[in-house]
Amino acid sequence: MSRPADSVSHESSVWPWLQTTGGIVAALLLVQLLTGVLLAFYYVPSVDHAHTTVSYIEKVVSSGSWLRSLHHYGSQWLALFAFAHVARLFWNEAYAYRKAHWVAAVVLLLLVMAAAGTGYSLPWDARAFFSTRVAEGLLGGLPFVGRYARLWLLGGSDISTITLSRFFALHVLVTPFVILAVVAWRVFRVHCWSNLNRNAIVGGVVFVALAIWCWKFPAPLGPAVETATADYLPRPGTQFLWLYETLKHVPGAVGSIVGVVLPGVGLVILASLPWLRARRRLIASKLIGGVLLGAFAVWAMTMTVAANLSDRRDARTREQLARQAQQESQWRSEPFTPVKLPSSVASAQTANSAEPPALYVKFCADCHGQHGQGARRGNVTFPPLLGVSAKPRRTVEDIVGLLKDPPAYGLQPPMRSFADKLSEPQMRELAQWIVNLKR
Amino acid sequence: MTQMNTDKNLTDKSRRSFLQLLPLGVFAGVLVSIGGAAFRFLRPRLNAPSDQWLDVATLSELTGPQPIAKKVLAEHVSGWVITSEEHNVFVLPAKNNQVLSPICPHEGCEVFWEQARNRFACPCHASFFTADGARISGPARRGLDSLPTRVQDGKLQVQYHVASEQDGATQA
Repeated sequence: MSRPADSVSHESSVWPWLQTTGGIVAALLLVQLLTGVLLAFYYVPSVDHAHTTVSYIEKVVSSGSWLRSLHHYGSQWLALFAFAHVARLFWNEAYAYRKAHWVAAVVLLLLVMAAAGTGYSLPWDARAFFSTRVAEGLLGGLPFVGRYARLWLLGGSDISTITLSRFFALHVLVTPFVILAVVAWRVFRVHCWSNLNRNAIVGGVVFVALAIWCWKFPAPLGPAVETATADYLPRPGTQFLWLYETLKHVPGAVGSIVGVVLPGVGLVILASLPWLRARRRLIASKLIGGVLLGAFAVWAMTMTVAANLSDRRDARTREQLARQAQQESQWRSEPFTPVKLPSSVASAQTANSAEPPALYVKFCADCHGQHGQGARRGNVTFPPLLGVSAKPRRTVEDIVGLLKDPPAYGLQPPMRSFADKLSEPQMRELAQWIVNLKR
Repeated sequence: MTQMNTDKNLTDKSRRSFLQLLPLGVFAGVLVSIGGAAFRFLRPRLNAPSDQWLDVATLSELTGPQPIAKKVLAEHVSGWVITSEEHNVFVLPAKNNQVLSPICPHEGCEVFWEQARNRFACPCHASFFTADGARISGPARRGLDSLPTRVQDGKLQVQYHVASEQDGATQA
C-alpha cells in the first residue's frame, strides 16, 4: 500500500520523460507569476482604461507584446498541462498512494481554470466583454443560487467597471495566492523530488518553445468594446473553445449545468477518489476517475475541433474572422494614441446637462430616470443609460433596432417594443440623445 | 584498477553535481530570460520637454513693480493618457515680463509670494528668494528658474518646464 505513485515500473526509456508534467506545470506557473506581476505595472482595471493600457503595453512598452503573449499563451498551455498532470497522476494511481499529491493536482487544475477565466476579461476588448457576458449568463442560470451568484460576480445589476475590478482582484490577488498555497502545501506535504532533473529539462524546453511561439505569434487583442462593430464575432481562447462550442448546442439554463455544474461536480469527485479508495473500492475509483477524465478529454477535444471546423466551413464566418484578423493587423501597425482624460476636456458639453427630449420624458424617463441615471421600482432595477454607448452593439443604429425589437438585442421585459408608438425619425432622435449620455 | 575506479568515481561525482545544478540552471534561465525583458519593460520613459506655448496673460494686464501670479493650463502626455494640469507661474513686469517657475529648486515644493517681506518663500524647507527670483537663504542652492517666453498677438506666452535641483539650470 505504500507504492510511490511515480515509481510504476515501465521498461520504455520514454516513460520517465512522460512523468514530467509536474515540471512543465511548475515552469508555466513561474512564467505566469512573473509576467503577471510585470503586466500589473501598467494595467489599469477600469473600463475606461483597461483596453488603452493593454494597447500601450502592446505598442509602446519595450518587450510588452512578448511578455503579454507569454502570459496569454502561458495560461492556455498551463490549462492543458495541468489537465495532463492530473491524467498522468491518475495513470500512476496517485489517488491511492499519494493523496496530497493527487488532491493538490486536482485543486490546481480548478484554480488554473479560474485564473484563466478571470484573466480573460481583463483586456476589456470586445472578446473579453462577451466572455464576461457569457460568464454572467452561466452563473445567472445556476439553479437556486444563480441570481445571487450573478449579482456577486458582477458587483451590481449589470456589467460595469466594478465587474472588471472584481475580476482583476480575483485574478491577481486571490487565485495566485491560493495557487501558491496549494503548491507550497504539496511541496511540504509530499517530500517527493523524484525525477527532478528530467522535470527541469522538460520544463525548460517547454518554456523555450513557449517563448519562441510568443515571439512569432503575438497575443490577440480585439477592438475596444465601444468601437466593436455589430458584426464582430468574438471567439474565446483555446482553453475555453470546448465550452463555447458546447453552449451552441444546449438551450438556456442547461448551459449553466454543462458549463459550471458538471465540471465542478467532476472535479469534486476526482478530488474525492482517495477516500473512495479508503473504503476498499480501488476498482470503483479507477473506473469513475477513468470515465470522468476520459469523457472530459474526448468531449473537450471533440468540441474544440468542432469549433474550429464550424468556423472554417461557414463562408461568412470565415470571411468575417479573416476581416477581423486583418483589422487587428492594421491596428498593430498604427502608432499608439494616448487618450485624453474626460476631465481634461475643458468644454465637454455632454448631453447629461442638456434637457432630455420630450419623447424621452414621455416614453423612457419613468423607467430609466429623468437623465438616464436608471431607477428602481420594487424589486425591479432599470439600468442606467449613462455611458451606454461604451457597450457593444449600442450605436444609434443599434438603439433604433433595439427600440423596435428588444429581444433581438438580448433585452427582456419589462423593456418593450416601441415599434408601434414611435416613428423611425423619432427613434433616431431618441437614440442620438441616448448615445451622448456620459457617465 | 584502483586508478580506474577513482576516475570513474570522480566522473560520477561531477555528473551528479551537474545534474543537481540542472534544475537551478533551468530556473535561472527562465528568470534571466524574463528578467531581461522585464528590465526593458519597466525602463522609465522620459518625455521630451514640451514645446507648447501656453497663454499667460495679455500684455496690458502685466503692470506694476510686484511679481504677478498667473495660471497656465498645460497638456502632459503621461503614459497612455493626456492630462491637462494647471500650473502657477510668476510674471515680473518690472523685468521685461520675465516669467519665473514657482518650483523651488531644493525639493520641488511651490513657492509663494510674501507681499509684506517682498520675497518668495518656500513653505516646505524655508528657502527664500528675492522678487526677481535670486536666492536669499535656505537649503536651495540656486534661484528660481526662468521659463522661456514670447509675445504672440499681444499675449505673453510661456513654455512650462520643471527643473530639479540636479539639473542645475532650467531645461529649455
